[in-house]
Amino acid sequence: MRRALFVVALCALAAGSRFLFLSAQSPAGESTSLPRLPDGHPDLQGLWLKSAGGFQGLFIGSLDGTNFAAPGGGGRGGRAGGRAGGGPPPPPRYEYTPEAEAERQDRLKRGYEDPEARCHLPGVPRALDQPGGLYPVQIIQDDKYVALLHEAMHDVRIIPTDNSPHPKNYWAWDGDSRGRWEGDVFVVDVSNFNGRTWLDMAGNFVDENEHVVERFRLLDRETIQYEATVTDPTVFVKPIEFRFTLKRVPSEQQILEYSCLEGERSLQHYTNEDGGKKQRAK
Amino acid sequence: MIRAIAAVVLSATVLAGQAAPFAPARLSDGKTPDFRGIWQARGNAHENIEGRIVVDPPDGKIPYKPEALARRQQNYRNRATADPSLKCFQAGVPRATYVPMPLQILQSPGNFAIVYQENHAFRVFHPEGRPHFDATDWWMGDTRYRWQFDTLIADVVAMTDLAWLDQAGNFHSTEFHVVEKYRLTSANTLEYEARMEDPMVYTRPWTLRTTLYRVTQPGARIIEDECLEDANGVRHHISPSDPRNLLKADYSRWKKPQP
Repeated sequence: MRRALFVVALCALAAGSRFLFLSAQSPAGESTSLPRLPDGHPDLQGLWLKSAGGFQGLFIGSLDGTNFAAPGGGGRGGRAGGRAGGGPPPPPRYEYTPEAEAERQDRLKRGYEDPEARCHLPGVPRALDQPGGLYPVQIIQDDKYVALLHEAMHDVRIIPTDNSPHPKNYWAWDGDSRGRWEGDVFVVDVSNFNGRTWLDMAGNFVDENEHVVERFRLLDRETIQYEATVTDPTVFVKPIEFRFTLKRVPSEQQILEYSCLEGERSLQHYTNEDGGKKQRAK
Repeated sequence: MIRAIAAVVLSATVLAGQAAPFAPARLSDGKTPDFRGIWQARGNAHENIEGRIVVDPPDGKIPYKPEALARRQQNYRNRATADPSLKCFQAGVPRATYVPMPLQILQSPGNFAIVYQENHAFRVFHPEGRPHFDATDWWMGDTRYRWQFDTLIADVVAMTDLAWLDQAGNFHSTEFHVVEKYRLTSANTLEYEARMEDPMVYTRPWTLRTTLYRVTQPGARIIEDECLEDANGVRHHISPSDPRNLLKADYSRWKKPQP
């Protein structure tokens, strides 16, 4: 039964129909087979890796959208699924407000300066939307929080589920996350961003007005459906939707340590121009 | 069976005239000691552990080999710029435990992890049984643990020789091996002990011990600790409540491009 439902869910995903996908989730009783904690909520714990979906394949290219990543090399998390011969998909194009579009054009001239290439925290949802298959996330959960320990950038989000409000005068790379359960879905409201992060390797950026609502839905023991809605009224004309799946990593594998700040030498390789070098020149 | 042994040990301890060990609260499985919470060391051991929290040898000095002691002295002279923690590297083990920033223990039955506020480092503790993942060297090492009654014992290897043990330049090599013990001594105090050995640097194993105190202020939590480069490219820690951390406070990007 579960396998059949999963196939239906996959078909719905392939069809790109959110409505169809959601309705496939609704049969009553199926959710009782999910692993649960003593407090009754689905047990999200374990080591997880993005397996499919997400807007971002491995992007090596220029800010005008050219992707020089070798065909088939990387991009497994991209929308096109990295099909043989197809190469990674081009980065997404979002509709920017006029002011933000001017800034984007200005960046094209200034060159490439991905904050992650400078070892900064990736922000949300980029922390999870890493190039497919590269960096897992360890989830530890109890009745007071859900903690996400990301291998990438050793980024940590300890998300309280105590109905507490966002703080004042707090601006972080990862913002401030507050979680709640809506039925079996773990919903996270993320605010208080410092506005320095990018959404992906292709230079799509946000500012301090970014606001994210994330949804973690355990489909079965092996799968989490992740959705995020990003709004930033001073940057984007309309909300941006992210959706991808996380698959459980086999138990014989473990999370490793990500270390950065040891002299990034690859910044110039991200672009076909000399933007990276110029930024690093002494 | 284990419980029976524990009872015997308990009675023996009481009979010997010592105070009975503190009985910690348990996780939802009813067995695992509950170490969850935010903890922080006090005092100034992060400046120099020698003479402060080194308990063995009794003189409080790290038993360096002569050539290693010379390097420590060199580290000490260069500490204002050479300390890796200044550059926002992860603090390493055991240093991350007693830096002047809190840590949070995350725990559920079968899971144990520590998140350190400084440089958002974390360690996922893996149960003993599988060999260490020591094919490379990490700042925070590779950790395997087991419970011995209510004490968590962790075995840590695979640590980089770039890490320091404190601000005074005390150090180790990649042969560093640490055995940590975590034990609740009351509801709000966690005793931390680490036994260090490193045949490349020390003449004998040595031990440090300190106490972590529970952070009990309502609403207290681990906050983001990140670094920003200054105009000279030097990284500095910056608080999430520092307005300079906010993009619009210092960035030129929303201004019109200069003609």
